[in-house]
Amino acid sequence: MPKHDTPLLDELEKGPWPSFVTDLKRQAATKPECWDILGQLELSFKDRITHWKHGGIVGVFGYGGGIVGRYSDVPERFPGVAHFHTVRLNQPSGMYYTTKKLRAICDLWQKYGSGMTNMHGSTGDLVLLGTSTPNLEPLFYELTHDLNQDLGGSGSNLRTPSCCLGKSRCEWSCYDTQATCYAMTMKYQDEIHRPAFPYKFKFKFSGCPNDCVASIARSDLSVIGTWRDDIRIDQAAVKKYVSGEYKANAGAHSGRDWGKFSINKEVINLCPTKCMWMEGDTLKIDNAECTRCMHCINVMPRALRPGAVQGATVLVGAKAPILDGAQFATMVVPFMEINADNDYEDLVNFIENLWDWWMEAGKNRERIGESIQRVGLPTFLKVMNVEPIPQHIREPRSNPYVFWESEEVEGGFDRDVREFRKRHKQ
Amino acid sequence: MAMSKDELKAAILEKSQKAVKGQLYIKDFYECDPDAKPREVKNAANELVKEGKMDFWSSGSTTMYAAKGRAKNEETRDAEEGHKND
Repeated sequence: MPKHDTPLLDELEKGPWPSFVTDLKRQAATKPECWDILGQLELSFKDRITHWKHGGIVGVFGYGGGIVGRYSDVPERFPGVAHFHTVRLNQPSGMYYTTKKLRAICDLWQKYGSGMTNMHGSTGDLVLLGTSTPNLEPLFYELTHDLNQDLGGSGSNLRTPSCCLGKSRCEWSCYDTQATCYAMTMKYQDEIHRPAFPYKFKFKFSGCPNDCVASIARSDLSVIGTWRDDIRIDQAAVKKYVSGEYKANAGAHSGRDWGKFSINKEVINLCPTKCMWMEGDTLKIDNAECTRCMHCINVMPRALRPGAVQGATVLVGAKAPILDGAQFATMVVPFMEINADNDYEDLVNFIENLWDWWMEAGKNRERIGESIQRVGLPTFLKVMNVEPIPQHIREPRSNPYVFWESEEVEGGFDRDVREFRKRHKQ
Repeated sequence: MAMSKDELKAAILEKSQKAVKGQLYIKDFYECDPDAKPREVKNAANELVKEGKMDFWSSGSTTMYAAKGRAKNEETRDAEEGHKND
């Protein structure tokens, strides 16, 4: 028997799609607070405003992150969700876990929470939705002692680092993303659990430029696998793609007849930098012009592979829109060795320089990408001790936006701004 | 010369108790000791939280620090303010 009438939400149960409303009604059989979630959401739809209050004092002892306080502003009407805190669990690298582990987490959440989950949140965490303040400490104790599982990041902390599945399953991965993600998670436990920064800070690790975790768009520090030598070509396999013996894209689009494979139409003419051509039946690549779009490798995986000298490109400053709209990360270090044998020395030095600067220069609630935009890329490169190069650009094939000071140019230069304005009026 | 850790903690606690705003960002405490590194200020503030003298307040995306009893507490706010939900 429904506790609240929910005519607006009931509309979301119609159609052939799975519905969270149906899921919540089913969950309400064992967790009656789920009726109050439905009731409050129905009221929000009707009132066209959220009925969650903004934040609060919530946490477990010793931690300043991982739990997000959520309180209803209509607790008399919906007492089951008067407190309805969110718990973020640090997901395993590459999101591998056994069904046994997953069941144990779900059982724990059924015991201490609403049973509602979000697998996975946008940072990658296992998100557990809806518990009350008194349940937090017992939940945390069992989570850490019985399940050997830690909380993730929230607030002005380092957020839970995330990565693609890397070398565990992907032949294109140019470094071990899972090992790197795990190493950085362990090294920066204090930054994950205790707020240190002007605002949130996210790491994401992708093994190749396909960037399966979308690190370039979503993380303050994006580490994307790349190579610095030439794409490896198996010319015999190229011929087999051309003859149709091998299916393009490993047969991924073979559910429909797309006609005979054309290397010109499907690969060469789609290269963004036009760095590929055929000489007879031999595929040629001008590797200096390759921008690592991965299209040719994706289409002909048996013929083309990333080069053998592998590492990562490091980019900084992506964010979603709050100020000035969404922005992609800017490439800062074109190639960095990612080496577990030296404890990721280059990456760690880069991260710590970055944080030292941002903790001083960043304004409250300013993402690092916004700080860089405010001070300008040349200033940022200077503080990071990175030499400007022509590849420090807004996007591929555009003009560099590094400006040179007189003392940085051999022989210097004089600039008369008044003379300049006579010719270039504002 | 940078303050000792105890001096820094005392300065942070005093600022959090006397500031007009009940909740402060970590950067607001940097001025307690301009010679201290940001990480030292963060560590001192976190120790005060562990000792129960300060609280974290978080919106989920940002975290602020407050002296005990000065953070906006959503669990008790309605009762304290006599707020009625309609």
